[in-house]
Amino acid sequence: MWQRVAAAGWRTLLAVGLVCGIGLLPWLTHTDPAHTVLKARSAEREPTPEVLADIRQQLGIDGGPLHVLTGWLGGLVRGDAGQSWISGADVLPDVTRALGASLLLMGVALLVAVLTAGLICARTLRLGARRRLGGRRAGGSLSAVLASLPEFLVASVLATVVGVQLGWLPALGWYGPQWTVLPALALGLPAGAVLGRLLDDLLPGAFGEPWALAAAARGLTGRSVARQAVRRCVPALLPNLGLFVVGLTGGAVAVEQVFDIPGLGRTTLQAALAQDLPVLQAGTLALVLLAALATGATRVAARLLTGPALRDGALSSLHRPAPPAGGVLPLLYGAVLLAVVGAGLARDPLALDTGQRLRAPSPDHPFGTDALGRDLLARVGHGALDTLLLAAAISAAALLVGVLLGLLPRVSAPLVDTVNALPPVLVALLVTAVAGSGAATPALAVGAVAWAPLAAHTSSLLRQERATLHITASKGLGAGRVHLLRHELLPAVVPPVLRHALLRLPGVALALASLGFLGLGAQPPSPEWGLLLAENQPYAERAPWAVLAPAAVLALLGALAVSAAGGLRQPVLRRRSRAVTEGVDGAERRSAAATEKEPAGAR
Amino acid sequence: MRSHRRSRLLAPFLLVPLTAGCFSSGGGDDSASGDGKDGDGARLRVALAFPPAENLSPYGADATLLSRLGVTEGLTALDANGSAAPALAESWRRDGDKTWEFTLRDATFQDGGDVTPAAVAASLTRATEAKPAPAALAGVTLGVKAGGDRVVRVTTAEPDPVLPLRLSSPSLAILSAKAYEKGNGRVDPVGHATGPFELTEVNGATSASLERFDDYWGGRAQASGIDARFIADGTARANALRTGELDIAEAVPVAQAASLDEKTRRDTATTRTTSLLLNASSGTFKDAGLRAAARAALDTSVFAKDVYEGYGDPGAGVYGPAVTWAEGKRTAPVGRAAAKKPGDGGTITLATYDNRPELPEVAQVVKQQLEKAGFTVKLTVREYSRLEGDALDGKFDAFVLARNTLLDTGDPVAVLASDYTCDGGFNIAQLCDEGVDRAVADAEKIADTAKRQDAAMAAEARILGSDAVVPLVHQRIITGVADSVQGVVLDPYERTLVGTGTRR
Repeated sequence: MWQRVAAAGWRTLLAVGLVCGIGLLPWLTHTDPAHTVLKARSAEREPTPEVLADIRQQLGIDGGPLHVLTGWLGGLVRGDAGQSWISGADVLPDVTRALGASLLLMGVALLVAVLTAGLICARTLRLGARRRLGGRRAGGSLSAVLASLPEFLVASVLATVVGVQLGWLPALGWYGPQWTVLPALALGLPAGAVLGRLLDDLLPGAFGEPWALAAAARGLTGRSVARQAVRRCVPALLPNLGLFVVGLTGGAVAVEQVFDIPGLGRTTLQAALAQDLPVLQAGTLALVLLAALATGATRVAARLLTGPALRDGALSSLHRPAPPAGGVLPLLYGAVLLAVVGAGLARDPLALDTGQRLRAPSPDHPFGTDALGRDLLARVGHGALDTLLLAAAISAAALLVGVLLGLLPRVSAPLVDTVNALPPVLVALLVTAVAGSGAATPALAVGAVAWAPLAAHTSSLLRQERATLHITASKGLGAGRVHLLRHELLPAVVPPVLRHALLRLPGVALALASLGFLGLGAQPPSPEWGLLLAENQPYAERAPWAVLAPAAVLALLGALAVSAAGGLRQPVLRRRSRAVTEGVDGAERRSAAATEKEPAGAR
Repeated sequence: MRSHRRSRLLAPFLLVPLTAGCFSSGGGDDSASGDGKDGDGARLRVALAFPPAENLSPYGADATLLSRLGVTEGLTALDANGSAAPALAESWRRDGDKTWEFTLRDATFQDGGDVTPAAVAASLTRATEAKPAPAALAGVTLGVKAGGDRVVRVTTAEPDPVLPLRLSSPSLAILSAKAYEKGNGRVDPVGHATGPFELTEVNGATSASLERFDDYWGGRAQASGIDARFIADGTARANALRTGELDIAEAVPVAQAASLDEKTRRDTATTRTTSLLLNASSGTFKDAGLRAAARAALDTSVFAKDVYEGYGDPGAGVYGPAVTWAEGKRTAPVGRAAAKKPGDGGTITLATYDNRPELPEVAQVVKQQLEKAGFTVKLTVREYSRLEGDALDGKFDAFVLARNTLLDTGDPVAVLASDYTCDGGFNIAQLCDEGVDRAVADAEKIADTAKRQDAAMAAEARILGSDAVVPLVHQRIITGVADSVQGVVLDPYERTLVGTGTRR
């Protein structure tokens, strides 16, 4: 019981700390809120001292941060979230309206995501139900490509092609059900691809468990076996699903912009830039609350799905049978990527020729040119090193932090929810407030968010793994905690999380670029990939190649990462099996060996 | 069992009515409505780029929005040549140094009352009391009194030769007494203005509905009403126009212009000039010779032709072709220094902002041209509100800025005073030059329009001579107008868009 109280206390502490942090933001970053508010109201107004003084007086920020903060918190207790500093309108109705639109969008997007995930897993499910999974090569290049597509790109393509050129669905606005389809697709497809990929990763393990064999032997239909396999795997994904729910609600800025949806993402972005603290605090609190609700819901759902087994430690390990090594696919992807980068490196990425702008691909410019007539192949090639090194370094750090904190779920779970609920620009501003705007700040800002889904994934896998029979057996044989961790838990948990981290690598590169407008991260004319996408986005319709080239290399990177990760499983598994056998003797050895054999038998 | 499962599957659909509250109200289904209502004039569907920022308060940027939709009017308006033209005031005359008399025309407020001198005086007095003061009144003390049956007397503390121009500012629009009843300094223009269209409903920052005001003094408008939507994303505006959801889309970005039909895109010269400002008081460009070298290194023809795709005119001076009188009165720059060869003066920081997508592109071209001339350049691009403070503090060596050269007053000298004099409030170039200050001060004193313009051009020649500013492009604004629509007002000052003659 006290654990639950402690968790709730920790969660509240985080929320309060966050609200206070936001309240102090202008003073920490030394950015005058009167100035940013003035610019949000009227960009062309000269910030003379008199005007700024009037605004300060109007907002009541003369008294300093503490005065402002206590005033706001006092109002909140009475159910009054204050007035927007920009417009003077009441915050609560505005934020509630925006939250409503965002929740609806998220709901439909979630539906799309679940369908997408289902499609991605369809093949595994079909084969698994017929018990023909064995020897299947790890696929997933398509889902990896889908997962690495930037939302804004999907959104603009859908708006232009489906909305404008075909005219099938409205391309703009938020007036009724048919307006939800395109934005939900733009959000749901990449999210569904990530979820589907993670599920697809777990399913073979479930099909390899003894119950599946027994069920098949008893004559249960393939369909019900598949259903039970999904039920067996979904609990491990639920925390990530919860993160998506919250992330899509508050972080759909790009999609909201393209389709002109009055959602919470845009509201908080504007408030963060203008330092409209009442709106920012109310929006953030709403998201943090939503995160707490989502976590509660996923926990209940997980308990409903695997409760008794989890409690009694009666699960078996979800190790998938070792597939054949990755095969030629990763080599192929790697070779293509290397060839592109190599060809690009021989060219000049900065040479402008405005007379040659937006030229289609030709022998002179194999990937075409951008809006300033620069060769895109050269820019893609030269951007590779920066992008890959930085994104890979951040991903590695996020993986390390994610796994470590994932091992301490009581501490990390509320932290994960809170961090994930924050709008990315707010995280960037908070990181800037703490770390200053140095060279490492963008990496810190992205890394501060990137570990969260990995930690959530780790702890959910860990919870299942701890409830497995072989852990009980090892414990019974006197294995210590360190031994368990090193030889049993980590080897089981790390590979899927590693594959997850690789799947998110392109997203990290994009997130880095999205901070550019705060003056963080790569600045033009750097050919960093995320920046390439962002600067060519306005020309997506006229010069599709300018966006496709960087998007394609990112997708290629995603496919390479996922297909190469398939080959990472084997050695880890082998070491683990040796460890188990060493630690077990006598009659138990037989059972341990049987556990190890089950997957093989399933082939 | 089976029926139970089915009902469980259907349960989510019970939520459908609840979701209705999550959609925006207005818009969407009104494309068919209003066609031929009242026998004349369909409703116009207009997309504006900037949503109301301050609840449509007339004292900030929302004033422009109100005047573009034909909701509000001031005593005067700007004509095509940038001089004051009659609006709610029929005529005016100067009475002594500090007093002007405006004679009102017969007009009614949208809520039914007459536009009386007392109402006008009350409305303008409210504007002078607003905090922060409207930009057009910055640094001016104004007293307004009813001076007779149809006369309003405006007195200023200091002689103000440009008062009629000043009163054309959208933030000095005349509203009826009821607009101020809310108290707390809030002003509500909904239904209380004098223009040809009356605001009836505002849905936050999403959309607004307007109806024709039948008793408008200038005659009934042809369109029966306006459905205005605020769409911040330029691509989204262009897309909506292409799908036929809109009749008029304001400010289509240059990158999207090519996706519109040639007939749908109308471009107008504006008073906005994109310039390169060189920091004249610190760093590399403190040296006038190096500023001259930088100016000489720039080939300004490529900006208008390539980066702005022809929707711009090559930079000629502070004022572009939208300021119609400027070209004929322009004189050669005075007092230019000889260009020096750039030495190892270290790295130049060139800054710009990405709120207007063309500016980072312009800056990258500038960077390359300067580097060809031997400078080393580092580029910084940020969101404008995160950049302006540093720019005003002189933290950058060079700055690419798009600036409206006829500020809120419509007075050409105002921009020179604020941007290029020692005491200027917006002096990003950090220019402090005696000759420039004197020329600007001379121009500020002149009341006669033509002579004031001459003096402004003399000051411009001095400013250009200092090489602290290199005009790159005079922007043209692209308005997307559907084929069926006629009579859109393409205003170089961006103060009007829909008028009495606009219809579809």
